[in-house]
Amino acid sequence: MTAVDSSRYVGRRDAERNLLSSMRSLLVLGTLMTEGADEQQIQQLATTAAPSLAPCDVVTVELVGGPPASARLAAQLRGVGISGGPVTLAGATWAWAYPLTGISGHLGHLVVGAKQEPTSEEQFLLRALAQQTGGALANRRLHAQELATAATLSVLNERLRGSVGALRRSMDIHARLTAVAVSGEGREGIARAVHELTGLQVVVEDRHGNLQAWAGSPPPDPYPKDSPACRERLLARAKQEGRPIRDGARLLAIAHPQGDTLGVIVLVDPERRAGDQELMALEHGATVLAMELARVRSLAESELRLRRDLLDELLAGTDTESGLARASALGYDLQRPHRVVVVEGHCPVGERHPLDALTQAVRRAARDEPAGTLLATRGTEVVLLADAEPDWESLRLGVLRELGGGRIRVGVGERCDTVGEFPRSYQQAKLALRLPALAEWDDRAIRFDDLGVYRLLVGISDLGEVERFVQRWLGKLLEYDAQRGSELVRTLSHHLEHGGNYELTAKSLIVHRNTLKYRLQRIRQIGQVDLHDPETWFNLHLATRAWNTLGVLRSG
Amino acid sequence: MESTALGLPGVSFTPGLHICAFYRGPTQRDELLLPYLREGLAAGDKCICVTDDPSAGSAVRALAGEFGIDIASASAQLQPMNSGSTYLSGGCFAIEKMIGFWDGAMSAAVSRDGFGFVRAAGEMTWALRGVPGSDLLLAYEAQLNVFLHRYPQVLLCFYDLEQFSNGEILLEILRTHPTVLLSGQLLDNPWYVEPEEYLGRHIPAGEPTR
Repeated sequence: MTAVDSSRYVGRRDAERNLLSSMRSLLVLGTLMTEGADEQQIQQLATTAAPSLAPCDVVTVELVGGPPASARLAAQLRGVGISGGPVTLAGATWAWAYPLTGISGHLGHLVVGAKQEPTSEEQFLLRALAQQTGGALANRRLHAQELATAATLSVLNERLRGSVGALRRSMDIHARLTAVAVSGEGREGIARAVHELTGLQVVVEDRHGNLQAWAGSPPPDPYPKDSPACRERLLARAKQEGRPIRDGARLLAIAHPQGDTLGVIVLVDPERRAGDQELMALEHGATVLAMELARVRSLAESELRLRRDLLDELLAGTDTESGLARASALGYDLQRPHRVVVVEGHCPVGERHPLDALTQAVRRAARDEPAGTLLATRGTEVVLLADAEPDWESLRLGVLRELGGGRIRVGVGERCDTVGEFPRSYQQAKLALRLPALAEWDDRAIRFDDLGVYRLLVGISDLGEVERFVQRWLGKLLEYDAQRGSELVRTLSHHLEHGGNYELTAKSLIVHRNTLKYRLQRIRQIGQVDLHDPETWFNLHLATRAWNTLGVLRSG
Repeated sequence: MESTALGLPGVSFTPGLHICAFYRGPTQRDELLLPYLREGLAAGDKCICVTDDPSAGSAVRALAGEFGIDIASASAQLQPMNSGSTYLSGGCFAIEKMIGFWDGAMSAAVSRDGFGFVRAAGEMTWALRGVPGSDLLLAYEAQLNVFLHRYPQVLLCFYDLEQFSNGEILLEILRTHPTVLLSGQLLDNPWYVEPEEYLGRHIPAGEPTR
């Protein structure tokens, strides 16, 4: 090897050694970039390191989507694209845009400018630096993406865990309350279960606010109750919300199967401790309570229907064996003497009492008297099979008290010793109810046994004979009343019932005494009767009572 | 020169190194620091560890307990210290004071206590808190390279990449350490600049920034 060759060889070896050293520098730098904390750190490492690899005056990193470069440079970068290439920079005689490329694609450019063009080895190092930088940036983005995905998954997992926990709690609550529902522990059991699940005092109220059951600390005595208007507003709000609502210190949910509010379950929570779990228990509790109340109501309705059916058949006439068996199944003993009692009621303003209210009033009065428990409604009346002999007027007054006023009529049939006698006793009770009404007596309870001559008249099988008797004595007056629309027969009947007392008769007819005198004068003239004659008096009295009886029998 | 196990799988070093260890976060720090000290304790080396994060200090004291070392003794094999009583003693950082500390500690370990080798570790995050003198960090790191040859020792400087986030500063840190521990690999640092040259051309202009 010549001296010149040797010198060239040494020079090339030095250049290669320098290049190798620079490559090692790049390796360390690339590793540091990969370990780096963020994109800015990577960019700073690249821009700081570049002048150590090649003489350059300007080094910038221009990222796609990053802070915008100058318009001129941006246009040049778009021009060179993902391959990179020469660009022009102010103050630099040489400038190059090296592409930053990662596994996710093109990320931007490493832009380098120098006063003189770097050697090919130096340009190679700058290109390698750009590759290291692109790789590190791509890794960092991927890592950030993975962190974000992991964070999202973590949040989702947490939510899922929460959902599973809530579902499990819901299942526990559901299982506990379902167990109560099937065990037949009733409202008390439901209140106890919700109390155990929530740790709060629980009360069950009917739709009117009356205490039905409770669990936890005892409720106040007397139990406070809202006015009906307030209560209705509260129930309407709860129904509209469709979920438990807060009413002061109370959280309440309504039990309303098929839209009919049957009751309310309440969590007493003055410290507002109840959370989602307690609300869930309350809602489940309301559902189970709705099922329980619907079941109880259905049972009550079935029992009512069965009782009504039995009563209908007994009053219409049924065979003894069947009647006794069915009554026994419902808990009634029909082998004791009974009387059929018919009750009819009117409100203070004259309308009939609502049948439900009348039925309840008769049930309570009959229980208190006591007079019996087998009763049902028939048309506009309440029919009671009385298995005792109470003071019937006392029973009537009891019903009146329960209803808080108005008018109540009570008719009592004769005693029945067998099931077969019920239809007769029923007819008698109806007559006992209607005859006094027709005769415009007061409202006292009437036993058929006490109807006197009426009882005889009703018993006559040939009504034609009775009618002929009425026509014989009252025919002219009836004809006159029918033609003129007058009330001579009614006036005569009142006059005779009051023993000829003008004062009482005028008062019962609600007419002036002179009017009464005038009518009696017309009765004497038209009927051609002498009211001072005792025989005539007796026959006219009997005829007016027969006329009343016929009226009742015809209407019945 | 005989190589010594650093404490990490497959990584060994020759005595007399000044190593810059980059890591991210306390977990990675402890994964480097504790095996490094544990290996030294097992080999009978003196271990001096200056921590800045209290959690790192706790981990080192727990390590002393693991080896049954009474750290209250001046001649204890493991000497846990914190940045407040070393780098920042007196409320500021000063190069001479800190190199004097290392000199005294190494001298005592080797000459007085008879240890054949000293492993030192320093957690450098204290330099980011703006304490007076922090701007001398890089000059200090450069001068440590001169001090390095006085004793049979290895110095491991811990830099958290999440806190030393400024790329320019990272490159300067690289230039002051002849060896770098990165991604579990111990590398001769091609960016290293000899202390005379580095100190000649770098006049500290300010404290490190994050």
